[in-house]
Amino acid sequence: MAETDYDVVVVGAGPAGACAATVLARAGRSVLLLERGPFAGSKNMYGGVVYPRILDGLHPQWWEEAPIQRWVTRRSTMMLTDDQALTVDYRSGSWGRPPYNGATAFRPDFDHWLAGKAEHDGADLVTSTTVVGLLRHPDGAVAGVRTDRPDGDITARVVIACDGVNSFVAKEAGLYGAVDASHFTLGVKEVVALPKEVIDERFNVRGREGVDIEIVGGTGGVNGGAFLYTNLDTLSVGVVLKLPALAAQQQRPETIIAGIKAHPAIAPLVEGGEVKEYSAHVIPEAGMAMMPKMTGDGILVAGDAAALCLAAGIWLEGVNFAMASGIAAGETSVEALRADDTSEAGLAGYRRRLESTFVLRDHRKLRRAPELVLSDRVQHLYPKLVTNTVEAMFRVDNPTPKPGLRRIVTAERKRLGIRRRDLLRDGLTGWRTFG
Amino acid sequence: MIVVCWKWVTAGDERWSGVSDADRAALEVGLRLAETSSTSVTVATVGPPAAEHGLREAIAAGAADAIRIEAPDGLASDAVAVALAAVAADASWIVCGDASADRGTGAVPAFLAAELGVAQALGLIGVTPDERTVRATRRLDGGRREILDVTTPAVLSVEGSVARLRRASLRAELTARSAAILQVAGPPATAAHAESHDVQPYRPRARAFAAPAGVALDRVRLLTDVAGGPAPHAELVVLDPPAAAERILAALAEWGYLSP
Amino acid sequence: MLAMIPIRDGVVPAGGAETIAECAGRALLAGSSPQADALDGISGDLRLVELGEYAPARWAAALAPLVDDPVVVLPASPDGRDLAPRLARLLGRPLFAGAMLVRPDAVRLVRGGGRGLVDVPVTGAIVATLQPGVRGVDVEPDARRTATVEEAADTTGTVDATVVEVLPPDVATMDLAESARILGGGAGLDAADRFRQLAVVARSLGASMGATRVITDRGWVEHQRQIGTTGVVVDPALYIALGISGAVQHTAGLGTPDHIVSVNTDPHCPMMQMADLAVVADANAVLDELEARVRG
Ligand SMILES: Cc1cc2nc3c(=O)[nH]c(=O)nc-3n(C[C@H](O)[C@H](O)[C@H](O)COP(=O)(O)OP(=O)(O)OC[C@H]3O[C@@H](n4cnc5c(N)ncnc54)[C@H](O)[C@@H]3O)c2cc1C
Ligand SMILES: Cc1cc2nc3c(=O)[nH]c(=O)nc-3n(C[C@H](O)[C@H](O)[C@H](O)COP(=O)(O)OP(=O)(O)OC[C@H]3O[C@@H](n4cnc5c(N)ncnc54)[C@H](O)[C@@H]3O)c2cc1C
Ligand SMILES: Nc1ncnc2c1ncn2[C@@H]1O[C@H](COP(=O)(O)O)[C@@H](O)[C@H]1O
Repeated sequence: MAETDYDVVVVGAGPAGACAATVLARAGRSVLLLERGPFAGSKNMYGGVVYPRILDGLHPQWWEEAPIQRWVTRRSTMMLTDDQALTVDYRSGSWGRPPYNGATAFRPDFDHWLAGKAEHDGADLVTSTTVVGLLRHPDGAVAGVRTDRPDGDITARVVIACDGVNSFVAKEAGLYGAVDASHFTLGVKEVVALPKEVIDERFNVRGREGVDIEIVGGTGGVNGGAFLYTNLDTLSVGVVLKLPALAAQQQRPETIIAGIKAHPAIAPLVEGGEVKEYSAHVIPEAGMAMMPKMTGDGILVAGDAAALCLAAGIWLEGVNFAMASGIAAGETSVEALRADDTSEAGLAGYRRRLESTFVLRDHRKLRRAPELVLSDRVQHLYPKLVTNTVEAMFRVDNPTPKPGLRRIVTAERKRLGIRRRDLLRDGLTGWRTFG
Repeated sequence: MIVVCWKWVTAGDERWSGVSDADRAALEVGLRLAETSSTSVTVATVGPPAAEHGLREAIAAGAADAIRIEAPDGLASDAVAVALAAVAADASWIVCGDASADRGTGAVPAFLAAELGVAQALGLIGVTPDERTVRATRRLDGGRREILDVTTPAVLSVEGSVARLRRASLRAELTARSAAILQVAGPPATAAHAESHDVQPYRPRARAFAAPAGVALDRVRLLTDVAGGPAPHAELVVLDPPAAAERILAALAEWGYLSP
Repeated sequence: MLAMIPIRDGVVPAGGAETIAECAGRALLAGSSPQADALDGISGDLRLVELGEYAPARWAAALAPLVDDPVVVLPASPDGRDLAPRLARLLGRPLFAGAMLVRPDAVRLVRGGGRGLVDVPVTGAIVATLQPGVRGVDVEPDARRTATVEEAADTTGTVDATVVEVLPPDVATMDLAESARILGGGAGLDAADRFRQLAVVARSLGASMGATRVITDRGWVEHQRQIGTTGVVVDPALYIALGISGAVQHTAGLGTPDHIVSVNTDPHCPMMQMADLAVVADANAVLDELEARVRG
C-alpha cells in the first residue's frame, strides 16, 4: 500500500476525538486531529455534567488537572406540575473525594484540556479546519479527508469520524440510513450568573461541592425534560425538548425555560441571577434505535456521530460514551494497523469492544428509556399523580382522618384518567430499564 | 527583506489570545509587497514565549522567517519600537498594524519610523504597491483622505479593513509547527518602560461647562431642575421584536418626536 | 501644559479645541496656514508657527525646540497620532497616548478600544495625546484670544513621504452633522440590505441615517455617514442605536443627545449603559418590525 500522510485522521476534537487521538499517539501512530472551531471545545455546548471515570485508565489521577467547576455530591430528581414539586434527593460524601463520580464543567475548558492531552502525547491538532469530504480508493474504501483549506487533502489509512451529532463524515461514508426528526431532541441552555456564596447557600453545598437536578414535567406541554446544575459561580438551566412536540406546540424554547425558572420550586434557586449565555444544540436521543453502522472500509464512527448518547429527560449523558467509544476506536485502529488490515473486517473489533464496555450495554438496557420517559403519560400525567398523592398525604385537613395511601393513589389515578394497566406496564418498563 | 510586526496579546491561555485584525492585514500587505518585489517576509514580535503561537500562524500563512524578541508583557511603546528597530534595520518595508489588540494607540509604528530615521505612512486604508514605491491612502478626520507616495525604506501601518489575511494551507499549517524561530534578547524590564495593567472599566469623563451668561437664579433653576422637565431616567427591558418596536415607538411619542 | 495642534490648510483637527481647553488656553498652532480665526469661541494664548506642507518627521523636528512646558498635549487625531511619538522621542519624554484626561500629575488613558481605563501618575516631563470628543468644550461668545507668530528653526536630514493630495469629504451627503434625529446602525445589523431598511425607517421618523466605522469600512454605507472621531461629529436631540456597542471612538462623536434608544443583544455594552431606553433584542428583527409599522 502506498505511503499515507498519516496513519489516522480523526475528525472533530470533542471528547470522542481527543480520546481516540490520545490512544493512537501513545501507540506511536501518526495521527492528525482536525477541528472546525478556533480551539477544541469552542463551540461545544451540553448540559453541564461529565462522568469522567472512564478516563481512569487513559489519564490516571485525571481529577487533579481536569478543569472542572464543581464535583456533583448531590443528585436530585424533581417531578414538576404547574405549582407542585416532588424531589428525590441523593447525597454522597464519597462523590466529593477522589476518584469522584460526576462533575460540572464547561466544554470549552474540558474539551480544550482533553485535546491538549492528545497534543502533548504527540497528536497533531489543527483547528479552524473543516472536513468537507472523504477521499476514496478506487474500490470505495475511505482513503483520507478533504478539508476547506488550500492544499487540504490528507491521506490516511483510517479515518475516525468524531464530528458529533448528525455526523457529516458518517453520512458521507454512507453509514447512516434515513434520519427521522422524531429521533432528535433539542437542548437549550442558559447560563445564569450568581455569586458563589449565594449558590452555596441556596443549594446547601460547600467548597467545590455541586448539585445536579434533573426535572421531569414542567416543560409547558412539550414532551421533554429539564435540568439545573451548579457551576462555580453560575447555574446551568436548560430544557431538552422533543423536536416534533416542540414544532406541534408552536412554543419557543426560551418561553419554556422561562417557565421552569418561574416555577415555585425553582424560582428561589435562580432568582436574581443574570443570564450570561444562551445556546442550543440538537441531540440524538433515541439511543440504539438510530445508531448508524459503526465501521466501514477504512472508517470508524465514535461518540455522538454514532448516536452514542443518552438524552431521555432525566438522563443526559454523552461525554462519557463519547470518551469510551473514542478510546475503543483508537484501540481498534492500533490493532488493525498492526495487523495491516484496515478494511471493515479488520476494524470489526470495534463493535466487540463497545459491546463489552458499558457503552452498548447501557444503551441496550436503556433502549426503551427515551420512549418511556418522553411518553405523554410520563410527561404530563405521572408527575401530577405522584405529586397529588404526596400532597394528599401531607395535607393536614383534620378532623377528617387521613385516607390510606392506596385510596389516595386510586382516587388520583381515576381523577387523571390513567388506566391501571398503563400504569403497571410503564412501571414494569421503568423497572427493567432503570432498576 | 520586509518586516511585519505582530503583537500577540494574551488573555488567559492561548484560546483567548491572538493578534489584532490590523496585524493580520499587515501580514497580507507585507506578503503582497514581497510578491511584487520578489523578496521575503520576516515576522517579528516583542513578547514572552507564548507569542510564538502567533509567529507560527504567520509562518503558516507565508512568512519566511520569524523573530521573537524576548520581553515581558506591558513594555512601553517606545521600548517596543527600539527592540523592533534592532531587527528591522535592513528592511525595505516595515508593515505594522494600525492598532494592537490591547493598547491600540498606534504609537509603535511612529516610534519605529523615528528610531530608524525613515518615512512613515500610518493609519492606511489603501495600499497599492509598485516596485519600490507605494501609493497609500490615509484616513484623516472629518471624512477627508490623504494620498501619499512612499518610497523604501519606510514604515507603513494599516487598518484591519485593508486586506484579509490569506488562509494557510493545511500542509503549511503542519510544517509551521516545527519551523525555527529566531530568539533575540530584548530590553530589560524597568519600571520606566512598563505600562500599568490595572485596567478599570470605562466610564465617561464628567464634562464641565461654564455657567451661561444671565441671572444667577436662572442658573440655579436650571441646575436644580425646579422648572420640571423630563427627569433623567434609564430603562432596560428585554422584549421580543414586535413588543420592542412598539415600546420604542411609544417612547418616541412620549418624548414628543412623533406627531400624534 | 501646552497644547500642540497640527493644522492643515488652516483646518483645526478633531479634538483641537478640546486639547487647547485642557491646557487652559496655552497653545501652539503649527502647520500649513495656522490661523487664530479657526478657533471661534475658544479663549487662549496662541502661538502660530508656519511649517508648510504636512511632513511628520520634519514638523516634529521643527517643533521640539519650541516646547517650553513639561506637559505637551496633542489631539489623538490622525495627524496628532502621527506626530506625538516622534516629538516624544526628540524630547526624550515618555508618551501617554489616547488619554481621556491630562493633568500635570496624572493621566487617565483609554485602552482596548474604549473598554477600559488606566490611571497613571506622572512624574516629570511628558507628551500626551487627548482622545477627541471625550472632554467637550464650551464655546464662549466673548472668548479672549491673543496670537503671536513665531518662526520655526530650519531642520535638515528628515525623511517623509510625499503628500500627493488631500481629498475633501463629499459635502453633498454631509448632512448628518446638522441632523436633530439620527438612526444609527452597527455591526449588530447583519447585511448591507439592513441599511436600506434603516434609511426607510429613518426617513419616516424624520431622522438621518448614521453608522459605525465597522459598517462604513465594509462599504455598506458611505463614509460620510460614519459617526465618530474619524467620521462626522454630530449633536442630535434623539439618537437611536441599533446593534452598536458604543466604542469610545463612536460615542465621542455623538454630542449630547437628549434621548438615546439602544437595541442590542448585550445588555452590558457601553451604548446600552448610555441609553434612556435600552432594549435587549435582536436589532434585525426589531428593524423589520419598525419598518412594518412605519410603512403600515
Ligand atoms: C443540551 C445538551 C445537554 C447535554 N448534557 C449532557 C450532560 O450533562 N452530560 C453529558 O455527558 N452529555 C451531555 N450531552 C451530550 C454530549 O454533549 C455529547 O454526547 C458529547 O458532546 C459527544 O461528544 P463527541 O466528541 O462525540 O461530539 P462533540 O462534542 O459534538 O464534538 C464534535 C466535534 O467535531 C467538530 N466537527 C464537527 N464537524 C466537523 C467537520 N466537518 N470538520 C472538523 N470538525 C468538525 C465540532 O466542532 C466538535 O468540536 C448533552 C447534549 C446537549 C445537546
Ligand atoms: C483611531 C480609531 C478611530 C475610530 N473612529 C471611529 C469612528 O469615527 N466611528 C466609529 O463608529 N468607530 C470608530 N472606530 C472604531 C471603534 O473603535 C469601534 O470598532 C466601532 O465603533 C464598533 O462598531 P460597532 O458598534 O458597529 O461594532 P461592534 O463593536 O462589533 O458591536 C456590535 C454590537 O452589536 C451587538 N449585536 C450583535 N448582534 C446583534 C443583534 N442580532 N441584535 C442586536 N445587537 C447585536 C453586539 O452586542 C455589539 O454590541 C475607531 C477606532 C480607532 C482605533
Ligand atoms: N510587542 C510588539 N511586538 C511587535 N509588534 C508590535 C508590538 N506592539 C505593537 N506592535 C506593532 O505596532 C502596531 C500598533 O501597536 P500599538 O501602538 O500598540 O497600537 C501593532 O499593530 C503591531 O504591528
